[in-house]
Amino acid sequence: MTFSLLHATDFADRLLYKIIPPLKAGMIVLADRYAYTAFARDATRGVDRQWVRELYSFAVRPDLALYFRVPIDVSVDRLMARRIKLKFYEAGMDLGWSANPLESFRLFQGKVLDEYDELVQEFGMEVVDARGSITEQQRLVRSVITQHLNLNHVEMTDDELV
Amino acid sequence: MTSSSDAPNEGANGNGHTGRYYGQGIPYLPLDSYPGKLIAVEGTDGVGRSTQIQLLREWLEIKGYGVIETGWTRSELMQPTIELAKSSNTLNKLTFVLLYATDFADRLEKEIIPALKAGFVVLSDRYIFTALARAGVRGVDRQWLRNLYGFAIAPHMVFYLNIDVKTLIGRVLESRGMDFWESGMDLKHGDDIYDSFRAYQQKLLKEYASMGDEFQFRTLDARRPIDRIQDELRRQVAAFLEPAEKSVEPAVKV
Repeated sequence: MTFSLLHATDFADRLLYKIIPPLKAGMIVLADRYAYTAFARDATRGVDRQWVRELYSFAVRPDLALYFRVPIDVSVDRLMARRIKLKFYEAGMDLGWSANPLESFRLFQGKVLDEYDELVQEFGMEVVDARGSITEQQRLVRSVITQHLNLNHVEMTDDELV
Repeated sequence: MTSSSDAPNEGANGNGHTGRYYGQGIPYLPLDSYPGKLIAVEGTDGVGRSTQIQLLREWLEIKGYGVIETGWTRSELMQPTIELAKSSNTLNKLTFVLLYATDFADRLEKEIIPALKAGFVVLSDRYIFTALARAGVRGVDRQWLRNLYGFAIAPHMVFYLNIDVKTLIGRVLESRGMDFWESGMDLKHGDDIYDSFRAYQQKLLKEYASMGDEFQFRTLDARRPIDRIQDELRRQVAAFLEPAEKSVEPAVKV
């Protein structure tokens, strides 16, 4: 519970200082993780799903949410290639599922990924296959965002005319 | 006289059940039949809660109960953070609410629930109602607040120390004086702390009063002398705790 609430507090602070003001100024805000991360992580930690959603009901709904989907094995391989030590909470060590950090990470993040799959449906997130090369992913991301921005631009012009 | 103040859920709780969560609760901490009892004493700043709790604690301990006290922003995890945030001028009503909720969640999981499991009487100096009142006055959505605190346990008894703002002002000035937050200076009613205190506390008292039925407050008139209030508290607490104790008492006496 405290893990969930501390993250929500941090999120609320960033929302009010870092997200809403630029949005008001008409800027594009890129958020590296959003409330969806909390939905997935907190549910995996046993917090009530409905409660977390209502907790975050003060959040601005993003115009576009991208989900970079990757199988757990690929995720583990990538992390292992870059660094040796897994973070305590990232590996879900607080849950006591396994004393081995790697095993714990696999169990915990595996469940987190299952939660994300549900979220994709619930919130209509755009899925990017993150197994591909960086260039492939970036091209896909750019095409999705281009489409989205063009659409919004037309709507905005309409509003201003009215 | 006793029956008139019986809360509807008292019967079930008297059998040793901890009762229920207000909302969705904490799924990984189901409330089984914990032997402990949770008693909350609510009321605004300076109303005399701490004095009453101290007296109640002594009396309960003399009677042989194990007593644990818990109070607002006293969690090990959050107290330094809250103090720091209060002094930094970057808190807004939302982060304020969430920090308090985190503090409460920490105390609930680490102090209150373990103590209830172990059979303690937990005396809570303020409970979630202070948070609901303060945030409600600051314009935070009341339904969202109730949902947020849906992980809280419903206490077995909630005593509300009721006072009028005039008496309150006298008491606060006689003791420690008016402080920035208790005067709601963050609401920017003006620079005058007296006027701000008066307006803010008036709103708070109204907010508390509006929760009386919803959360089954046992309202006590806090303008009376300390020992009169204490007598009333003890009478009601004894009426609640003793039926549950009866089966044990004869064995102890023999």
